Amino acid sequence: MDFDLSAEQRDLAAAAADFLGAGADLAAVRAALDDIETPLPVPPGRKGLVESGFATITVPEASGGGGGTVLDLAVVAEQAGRVLAGPSLVGYARAAELLSGDQARLAALADGSLAVAVHDGGPVLDAVGADQFLARVGDDIVIAAGTVSPRAAIDASRGLADVALGDAEVVLSDAAERWRRAEQVGRVVLAAEGLGAAARAVELGVAYAKERHAFGRPIGSYQAVKHALVDAYVEVEQLRSLVWWAAWTAEEEPAALPLASAAAKAAAASALERAAETLIQVHGGIGFTWEHDAHLYWRRAKVDRLLLGDEAGALDEVARIALGDLPGAERAGAER
Amino acid sequence: MDFDDTPDEAAWRAEVRAFLADHKDELGARTGRRDLDDETSRRRQALLYDAGYVGVTWPVEAGGRGGTPMQQAIVDQEMARAAIPGLINLIGIGMCGPTVIGHGSQDQKDRYLKRLLRADDVWCQLFSEPASGSDLAALRTRAVQDEQGDWHITGQKVWTTLAHLADYGILLTRTDPDVAKHRGLTMFVVDLKAPGVSVRPLRQMTGGAEFNEVFFDDVVIPDSERLGEVGEGWRVALTTLMSERLTLGGGGGDIGMNVERVAEHVGGRIGALPPDRQALVRQDFGRAYVATLGMRYTGYRLLTALSKGSLPGPEASAGKLAGTRAALELADLAVRLLGDDAVYGAGPDSARPDSAGPDETATWQLLQAGLPGMAIAGGTNEVLRNIIGERVLGLPPEPRADKGMTFRELAAAGA
Repeated sequence: MDFDLSAEQRDLAAAAADFLGAGADLAAVRAALDDIETPLPVPPGRKGLVESGFATITVPEASGGGGGTVLDLAVVAEQAGRVLAGPSLVGYARAAELLSGDQARLAALADGSLAVAVHDGGPVLDAVGADQFLARVGDDIVIAAGTVSPRAAIDASRGLADVALGDAEVVLSDAAERWRRAEQVGRVVLAAEGLGAAARAVELGVAYAKERHAFGRPIGSYQAVKHALVDAYVEVEQLRSLVWWAAWTAEEEPAALPLASAAAKAAAASALERAAETLIQVHGGIGFTWEHDAHLYWRRAKVDRLLLGDEAGALDEVARIALGDLPGAERAGAER
Repeated sequence: MDFDDTPDEAAWRAEVRAFLADHKDELGARTGRRDLDDETSRRRQALLYDAGYVGVTWPVEAGGRGGTPMQQAIVDQEMARAAIPGLINLIGIGMCGPTVIGHGSQDQKDRYLKRLLRADDVWCQLFSEPASGSDLAALRTRAVQDEQGDWHITGQKVWTTLAHLADYGILLTRTDPDVAKHRGLTMFVVDLKAPGVSVRPLRQMTGGAEFNEVFFDDVVIPDSERLGEVGEGWRVALTTLMSERLTLGGGGGDIGMNVERVAEHVGGRIGALPPDRQALVRQDFGRAYVATLGMRYTGYRLLTALSKGSLPGPEASAGKLAGTRAALELADLAVRLLGDDAVYGAGPDSARPDSAGPDETATWQLLQAGLPGMAIAGGTNEVLRNIIGERVLGLPPEPRADKGMTFRELAAAGA
């Protein structure tokens, strides 16, 4: 057993952190909230993400992508989550799965000429800035243009909008299984972004708790504050293990992907909520202000928990799989 | 990243699995009973040791196998898989032995270690006292050296798991009250059968009695039984505590509750519930299962780090925190599923060694009743949070009221 990132993956994470650290901008995320009726994409934006190559890591090299694994993408997604980068890598991950084998469209995804989002019926993630939409009709995967109606979303960095689809072209028939797999990969990448956001929220809370003094000493020395941060940290580290494992299963143990992706999704929902709420609480009044970044992480938590199925749905799936009502628990047991 | 066994690991797993299957009858099965049958448990560990499956990571010269943490983890996994009861000398192997290896003389190592691994001698850890639990360095048990160089021990230890069965213990004492509390400590190996030692079992809230009070009334320990230098006891104890953290929080094994067993229990009961209740049970079970997976895979990360040569750091404390939380969630669900029966069954009879063994209801009740202890033993959850907060996150410690005081001054102040 070797449950650790490779040296290459650590280099990839460092490169992604450099690019996203320079390219993303929390001030822009906040500004987008002020302009909520006509939201602008937040940085680095589709163009930057695609040109960097990070967005299409999982697209085969033959189609101009990175030829990497879901785990590679998850490593980048963690860095994207830390700085609340937009658009989400979830859409690219799902599109790469859904368009698998469609050389022309994958090449268009990788060169940026295809700006696509995935339509699940509800609010569409990163619909803002997309001109084509992948959707499921019956058991077919289709692609269509759409009319985008932005609405005032809680988290302006998610490009959420309602979309009315136009005439659809079938990409692949009888593709229910592929749709499900793409959704599960999407959950893993969403959880990876949640991991990054939650880890960053804990770091910000810890940094403030070291600086801020009350009653003559740093507030982080009080157990009430310290333990709240530790609980958030422990949950983040458990989530990290689940995200890495789930991402790994996508290529290496697909039979375990349904369980692992649902577990990661559920764990991400609660870990990010706890981390964001702790971040606000540790800061006190300043953490409740519009100017502070804390609520940007809180907003991300409140939206992400509902994307790609809510936490309750994910927990139900975990339970059904573990109880043998649904397939997908192979080799998750202790006796691996 | 790779979760599969390497060819070497797979061969090792096959060997262990075959041995456990071949000796199933001699090794016995888990009964769910809390108390240990001393003789059976010792024989089981000796059988496993002679086959090379105890102390896998210990150096060969210490009686071990010189193997890897991964090999040890595979043995643990296969023992769990085959439902072989845990080793009686777990505390000896996990905590006392590493302390002797780290700080004992060659003579002590030769005399003690192999016998410890075979459970020829059972060991216990004599640290906590009535007036010093989390604040271990405030302990009061005195060790005074006489003119011949022997040490005379007077005092009391408490919550000492297995002292009633133990042959030896590692004993942390105060040898100098006139320096700061953690500077005046010295560690010894004590013979539990020596004159002046008396052990009184304490009955726990489970009804069982695996932990004890241990009284020392002028017990004589030769200087050759000292572990480490005089006054260096705190440093020696840190070896023990670091090993303990790994024993309790590492490797990805379940703490206190086996999730597959809970899954069977849930699967057997859930069908009888109305659909709305089924949905609630699945929510609770799903949450506990996610927590268990998180703990398991975090344990695998730690195991990987250890395999690459890292020492068990303060991060391992997170495993125990997360593990006890997962176990509490599982136990709570398992007991609630019993419905009305959940009000029965945790009676003392089922916990007695001479009982036929608990029925299904009592089994879950006993597991549930044992878990509050898990959150205390080996560092309370609050102490573990302090360790993680201060040593991993770098948060400042609480100011200490005992700073700059000698132990004698502290004791006089009633602290």
